[in-house]
Amino acid sequence: MTKNKMSDTLIIKNVNKTFEVNRTKVEVLHHVDIEIRSGEFICIVGHSGCGKSTLLKIIAGLLECDSGSVILAGKARRGPDVDVGMIFQDHRLFPWLTIKENVALGLDNIPKDRRNRILSEYLALVNLTGFETAYPHQLSGGMAQRASMARSLVNNPKVLLLDEPFGALDALIRVQMQHEILRIWEKEKTTMILVTHDIDEALYLADRVVVMSSRPGAILDIFQVSLPRPRDRASASFLNLKAAIYAYFTPAGHPAESETARP
Amino acid sequence: MNGSKKVAKKNIAVYGIYAFADSHYYLSIPQMSELLKKTARFTNYVFLPTLIFIAWWFVTEHEYFPPVIMPSMKAVAASFLKQLESGQLSRDILVSLIRVAKGFSIAAALGISLGLLMGVSKTINRFFALPLNSIRQIPIIAWIPLVILWCGIGELSKVVIIVLGAFFPVLVNTVFGITQVPKDYIEVGRLFRISRWKMFTKIYLPSAIPAIFEGLKLGLSNSWMIVVAAEIIAASSGIGYRINDARSLMQSEVVIVGILIIGLIGLVLDQAFVWGAKLLTPWARTK
Repeated sequence: MTKNKMSDTLIIKNVNKTFEVNRTKVEVLHHVDIEIRSGEFICIVGHSGCGKSTLLKIIAGLLECDSGSVILAGKARRGPDVDVGMIFQDHRLFPWLTIKENVALGLDNIPKDRRNRILSEYLALVNLTGFETAYPHQLSGGMAQRASMARSLVNNPKVLLLDEPFGALDALIRVQMQHEILRIWEKEKTTMILVTHDIDEALYLADRVVVMSSRPGAILDIFQVSLPRPRDRASASFLNLKAAIYAYFTPAGHPAESETARP
Repeated sequence: MNGSKKVAKKNIAVYGIYAFADSHYYLSIPQMSELLKKTARFTNYVFLPTLIFIAWWFVTEHEYFPPVIMPSMKAVAASFLKQLESGQLSRDILVSLIRVAKGFSIAAALGISLGLLMGVSKTINRFFALPLNSIRQIPIIAWIPLVILWCGIGELSKVVIIVLGAFFPVLVNTVFGITQVPKDYIEVGRLFRISRWKMFTKIYLPSAIPAIFEGLKLGLSNSWMIVVAAEIIAASSGIGYRINDARSLMQSEVVIVGILIIGLIGLVLDQAFVWGAKLLTPWARTK
């Protein structure tokens, strides 16, 4: 498929968000600023509740930010649209629809034969050919999550947001899914923003790893990962980067030796 | 001689052991415990009913109460067969069931449509909430005199009373079903910018179906109870009329046949609904 996504830069400009919880204001996002190239793979790591999910929902248009803006391909985003897809920790497939019907959710006003062609193409992409008429409860966690990916990808989004997509899967399936997502990313060239608290996963996947602090959620650091893919999780450079990122989450904060560990 | 006898005895003993051991081959210990479990479960189910029947038999056998008040099982069975043969029983049941069918289908149609509207629109919900919630508190039996005044004692009054009784559980459960749709699903709908109509047909409605079924089930069992009550108060046909008529004639066995049949039909209607609901919501079936 031919897509021109070269100009589809995503700019997150000074985004702030405050929630009111029990009459006290909680600053969730504080001056979040980042520019993401088209086709880039970004991973955001941080503690649970550091506002990562809120940031994704703002990018998706499900939430509005208090100030700042999200600009995709030169246009400020207002509300959800087909340009940005999102995948959650739980697959959120509708249990009453078959896999095919679920994946077809966002496909409207398309001639039937073309629609079927798109559906089988994307079901094949996520290795779910043959499961068209199955119901979500008949699928394993990994398969359901892949179906959920297909559901987002059929709309051919410019940006795909993944909110801890493998968090509910066991460790072995996780590794498998990481391969899957890379394969899909390389094929579709979609900009990916994946939120995780698994540093290993972030380093394995991302072009850049964004480290976020919690309360308020702010960008602490951005690590460029220029290791060639597929990455060796046991290589020295991988482990060095890992140590450097881990340092942000140790009780002491950000010890000095991690500076030397950065390449 | 002596020796061969001993051998024979020993053989029997050995054979006995083998026979015992053999049974283990046919029925392993887990299988046996499974069988035991099933038996225990079955016993669990039928224990109390059996006890009740034994008590009934005991009380009537010794005639602790006059047979006119407490008929024997035999008398009840004879009355059942007689009513079955004369066709009276099936006529009574049919009349009552037709009333339920009319009243329940009207109540279901009204309850589901208004419930859906109240579920999706807060304005419609607020508009109806106060009167409907107050009316809901009134026992259905209390409506019967007014309905008779307004609609007479013909078929219409029975149907109206059933509608009143079945409408509210359907309505309340439908509204509940629509309003408890998981926010996660709605978020997905928003994310894909699906139309309001599709949001309703693909998310709200299917998500509410189990609750709607629950309401329909309650409504149906209400209808069955109410038709009997209404027939006891004012009717010249139906199973409720039959037991009240038999009471005035001191035919306690006819009353008991009627009561048992009412219970049985209620049970069958309820189970039929459970099966129907399972059939219509294949996704709700567990793995």
